[in-house]
Amino acid sequence: MMLALLLVAAQVGAPAPALIQDPRLDRLDPDTRVQVSTVLDSARRVGLPTEPLIQRALEGATKAAPGSRIVAAVRRLSADLRVARIALGGEASAPELEAGVAALRAGARPQVLANLRSARRGLLTVALSVLADLVASGVPADSAAVAVLALAPQARDADLVEFRRAVERDIALGAPPGAATSVRVNAGANVQSAGSNPGAQPRPRRP
Amino acid sequence: MFEHEDDVVQRVIEQLRRPVAIDPALDARVMEVIAAPRPPTRAIWPWLAAAAVLVSLIMWRPWSRSFRVEAAAFQFVLVAPHANSVSLVGDFNDWDPKRSPMRTANGIWATVVQLAPGRYRYAFLVNGVEWRADPGAPAVPDDEFGTPSSVVTVGGRGS
Repeated sequence: MMLALLLVAAQVGAPAPALIQDPRLDRLDPDTRVQVSTVLDSARRVGLPTEPLIQRALEGATKAAPGSRIVAAVRRLSADLRVARIALGGEASAPELEAGVAALRAGARPQVLANLRSARRGLLTVALSVLADLVASGVPADSAAVAVLALAPQARDADLVEFRRAVERDIALGAPPGAATSVRVNAGANVQSAGSNPGAQPRPRRP
Repeated sequence: MFEHEDDVVQRVIEQLRRPVAIDPALDARVMEVIAAPRPPTRAIWPWLAAAAVLVSLIMWRPWSRSFRVEAAAFQFVLVAPHANSVSLVGDFNDWDPKRSPMRTANGIWATVVQLAPGRYRYAFLVNGVEWRADPGAPAVPDDEFGTPSSVVTVGGRGS
């Protein structure tokens, strides 16, 4: 009886069956669907999250991108997820890996991701995203990495988001991106997260 | 009549007072039965309790970092006074324009969606044909499909 229960439990905890059957992929043309499914199967075999790959394929389908471009995007993302997992460790969550890919594509070195893992307790999704977003705003990758690594040990996720917004505001007002970042890092100890009134009704946040 | 009854009673008493012959090996046999090992008890409740704990652990997966799902409300806004329709599409709704149509008030289109912690790419689809990024959010620098997109990051516990 115990064996039967263990088998049932294993079924419950087992990963989802073949994603090649995912009905969402029906939005792709047949040839593209087969190629994307092959990438998904490969990713699943090595334990990579497949949902980001599916979403990338669906994005391409909705944007009416050619099948070859969709397949290339999914393959590239799969490869980058693998690099991010090596840098962040096998315990990294799917959101962390996605954010890690964004940081790597922004120009952060894998060692920066590993250092961030060592410096910060808890999930790294926001820290990695802020790093990527700072670079997208014009901050040099090395400066963004130094800034996020400096804030990472103590700052909360909301503090990091507020830091990113502050740097973006300064840049929009004409400050050089690198200088804006370093100034805001030095003021980081005074950064207060927005909306911290404990009695207030929570309002929808903004991106 | 009374004498007759007395005889009967007397005979009963005599019978009861007679020593009973008991097998000398009786004590040994009784002790043998008591001391014999019992067959294992087939109690089912401990097994059921253990199975319930096991199934709960597997479904809860406390060893996974991703088991903490805390959705937060996010408001998306686009100013598009001349648009007839605007949809919010992204990683959170399978890039399906029908899933998150936006409502307008004086040309300001808005919608609120619940997002679990993570990093999401998204864009606005105006009039079903025109892709626009969110001017109030970080842009996706590596858009591979030739259209603008934005990104929103949702923090986890304690954010």
